[in-house]
Amino acid sequence: MATTTTEAPATRRSITATRPLLGWRTVDILTVTFLGAAFGIVFWGWAFAYDPLAKAVSLAYVPLSGLFAGPWFLAAVVGGLVVRRPGAALLCEVVAALVSMLPGTQWGATTLVSGVLQGLGAELAFALLGYRYYRPLAAVLAGVLAVPLEWVFETFSVPASWADVPVLGALTGGGAWYGELLPRDKVAYLVALAVSGALLAGVVGWLLTRALARAGALSAFPAGQEEREAGAV
Amino acid sequence: MPSEPVTTIHPGLVEVRGLTWRPYGRREPVLRDVDLVLRPGERVLLVGPSGAGKSTLLRALTGLLGSVEAGELTGAVTLDGAAPGERPGAVGLVLQEPGSGVVAATVGRDVAFGLENVGAPRESMPAVVRGALAAVGLGDLPLDTPTSALSGGQTQRLALAGALALDPSLLLLDEPTAMLDPACAAEVRDAVAGLGARERRTLVVVEHVLGPWVDLVERLVVLDHDGAVAADGPVEEVLAVERGRLLDLGIWVPGAPAPDPVPMDPGLLRARAAGPALRAEPFTVERTTRLLDGTTRTARAARLERPLAAAPGSLAVLVGPSGSGKSTLLQALAGFLAPDPADAVRVTTGAGPADPAALDAPALAGALAWVPQWASSTIVAGSVLDEVLATSRAVRTADGDAEDADDVERARRMLDALGLGHLADADPRELSGGEQRRLAVLAALHHGPPVLLADEPTIGQDRHTWAAVVGLVAAYRVAGGAVVAATHDAAVVARADAVHDVREPVRGSPVPSPGRMPLAARCGPLALLAGALLAIPAGVVSPHWSTSLAVLAVQVVLAVVALAAPGRGSPPPRRLRGVLLRLVPGALAAVSVGWSTWWLAGHDLDTASTVALRVLVIVLPSAVLVPWVDPDRLGDHLAQRLGLPDRPVVATAAAIQRVHTFGQVWAEIGRARRVRGLGVSPRRPGTVVGHLGALTLGLLVRTLRAAADLAVAMDARGFATARRRTWWAPAPWRPRDTLLVLLAALPTVVALVAR
Repeated sequence: MATTTTEAPATRRSITATRPLLGWRTVDILTVTFLGAAFGIVFWGWAFAYDPLAKAVSLAYVPLSGLFAGPWFLAAVVGGLVVRRPGAALLCEVVAALVSMLPGTQWGATTLVSGVLQGLGAELAFALLGYRYYRPLAAVLAGVLAVPLEWVFETFSVPASWADVPVLGALTGGGAWYGELLPRDKVAYLVALAVSGALLAGVVGWLLTRALARAGALSAFPAGQEEREAGAV
Repeated sequence: MPSEPVTTIHPGLVEVRGLTWRPYGRREPVLRDVDLVLRPGERVLLVGPSGAGKSTLLRALTGLLGSVEAGELTGAVTLDGAAPGERPGAVGLVLQEPGSGVVAATVGRDVAFGLENVGAPRESMPAVVRGALAAVGLGDLPLDTPTSALSGGQTQRLALAGALALDPSLLLLDEPTAMLDPACAAEVRDAVAGLGARERRTLVVVEHVLGPWVDLVERLVVLDHDGAVAADGPVEEVLAVERGRLLDLGIWVPGAPAPDPVPMDPGLLRARAAGPALRAEPFTVERTTRLLDGTTRTARAARLERPLAAAPGSLAVLVGPSGSGKSTLLQALAGFLAPDPADAVRVTTGAGPADPAALDAPALAGALAWVPQWASSTIVAGSVLDEVLATSRAVRTADGDAEDADDVERARRMLDALGLGHLADADPRELSGGEQRRLAVLAALHHGPPVLLADEPTIGQDRHTWAAVVGLVAAYRVAGGAVVAATHDAAVVARADAVHDVREPVRGSPVPSPGRMPLAARCGPLALLAGALLAIPAGVVSPHWSTSLAVLAVQVVLAVVALAAPGRGSPPPRRLRGVLLRLVPGALAAVSVGWSTWWLAGHDLDTASTVALRVLVIVLPSAVLVPWVDPDRLGDHLAQRLGLPDRPVVATAAAIQRVHTFGQVWAEIGRARRVRGLGVSPRRPGTVVGHLGALTLGLLVRTLRAAADLAVAMDARGFATARRRTWWAPAPWRPRDTLLVLLAALPTVVALVAR
């Protein structure tokens, strides 16, 4: 019987999950899926707030609606920050998408596709950092990288030559909503999404994780340990 | 890894040597140099004051200490000479809160969980499961009984059966009856007693009320405040020799009279009321649970039989078995649930009688206080002292008064009186359950509400802390406060002026009879999800609203087929209503997308109708098909058919299983904040953001706690080491699934042909 966690309690470095990184403990798996389920409900609720907000700014400039998309990447950011194992961000976001789909959403089954794409993007951020760095910048990067795949899915216009190809047309033209945008508007939409991802998913996700740690809810996780050691100084 | 269930009965020799455990973030160890040897087949009762480390010692015996909490561990624990977790399921564990260890939606699958984890062949499972259920007196339950339909006592026995299925050498029960009413508690004890008659397993029970257990055990081990063993020996002997010391430790020794309430200065409490602060005429109240598919079900109905008047200084108690609706009645009295008739409950305010539901948060806080059963959900502040002061501050802010220095002084003296003075600066969420409950009562009373509605205020307290809580309530009554309490505690009932018997209302059959199922519900989860996903290409390839309209028409026809329920039995209720409800977000989106496109695209009706109908085409199949995805079956199929990794799949199914409880948690935290005077004011948007933030954080904290509890329960049943799992149910892909996918592809074909 060994104690859990603990690398050197450095203040600059992040505390990582116990080795091996792929050795998921039961509490890791359950925490990710339970967080995902809770965020699924949050997603579902956010959809109702999102709609009027997005419509309001759309009257000024349609791509600005991307500014309100950030909360949908929160599950991936928080899941990754809390558990710090490969796959945590992806699994958390996919479960959240699945759960938010159950009561009925305005996006139907595309919700699940978006969940996978956003989760993959955020997961990439944590992977790029070697699952070793979890300071606020990591959260921001995860929030930003959750965007590109989703953006492609939402906005990639169907090339004229593909329009009649059944499968490719369906895959690339998922953006039923934004298919009418001009290319430069699509770039503006990408920027709006990224800003939202950085702030509403990255910064908010980091603050939320810290608040959970302060509430003593993450004592089994590196984030909780960091909080304790910050208090011990 | 063992690939078959071990059927030999192991002796169960437990040896604990020099065990010390200090969780990170605490200065003092919770367990201190514990030495203990349990002989095979021995039955032991483990007692100690609250916070003495009893539960921690149990976790150590399972070998799971440190699996959900980080800390420093020295010493050793062995079971028959090996690490306790070496054979999966060798240590069976039943947790305090009924349902915290439930992993599946049906009884049979839940008991089989451990067998699945050790890779037992599927054919062997039903016999073992039935045997385990029979051993705890649940042999009559059909294996497909929903776990959510069980009473608290049945749920605890189900947990016991789940442990027995793995043939444990050592059984650990962590206050298995603490949250049950006397009848349910007796059921659980009978089940435990029945086990001993058949076969001897080493048994350790943690309890703080000894009386009912002394006949079931032969040995008593006492932990003191420091987490060290204070006494150990045959039950009768320890009770006789150590009686004084046990009473000093606050342990409920059988036969000892209830302790005298700790005297408290009523001047510390200021309850302002001239006449009855709350009156209620007889009423009924229904409590509904909103399910994921958008429908609701009445979970609990309750009835107040006689009028109730909370006069100054009075104590009225609501008594009755768990599930009879005592908590529901209290919530109706607080204005959280609507009574029938609607004007049955009135509170007294400065402006005369008022409906509590109509008051704003500070006014409600001024009219009454409410302490829910789950005390941790009422926490609103970051330190114990601020927690006590929160409502006083909110009420003063609403009245435009400055903070009174006397408030802080009173708060400190009240904390001292309840033995919480040294924790004034601590984070309330770090306190033990008993400490949180005392704090909740204190925080509810500090601002001097005229009436207190308390749900099981004395549960989980030792003799000392019980005396403190009862003393506090007594002082509050002397100061002119009125109390209405739901309780099982005979000593509290004895102090009451009025006793309201709450009987379980007559309900329909607890287990809904299986009627006809819609055709969609007869298909597998993967086919259902595929059907929903196939709507995406159908929507996307529709180039014009005329195509979309044709596609939509096909989808509607298919939806009617999917929801048809041919066969015998009662028809499934509210199919159409459910679908329409789930379509609401999609329909709103279609309208708003259509409208904004019309606006942006130069009032081009063609384009606008096209995008709007596309949204409907994509959303409709999800609304029809997705609700019939059963979490357990989804797990079966994702793992067995798609070959996804077992453990994340099981965890996902378990999480989806519990989603409907999140809404209840959310509502409860919202109510607790409102009655503490911390409501939302539309005039100050800051309060809205703060409120949503607090609710979200509260929900996440509770969710993480539930995940940690379930992790312990699952690991005790071999989940941590489950490499090659087997599955209770097969995951067949049947012709009907193929048919569903083919039919779901039809709209896409129509779209391609029609364009």
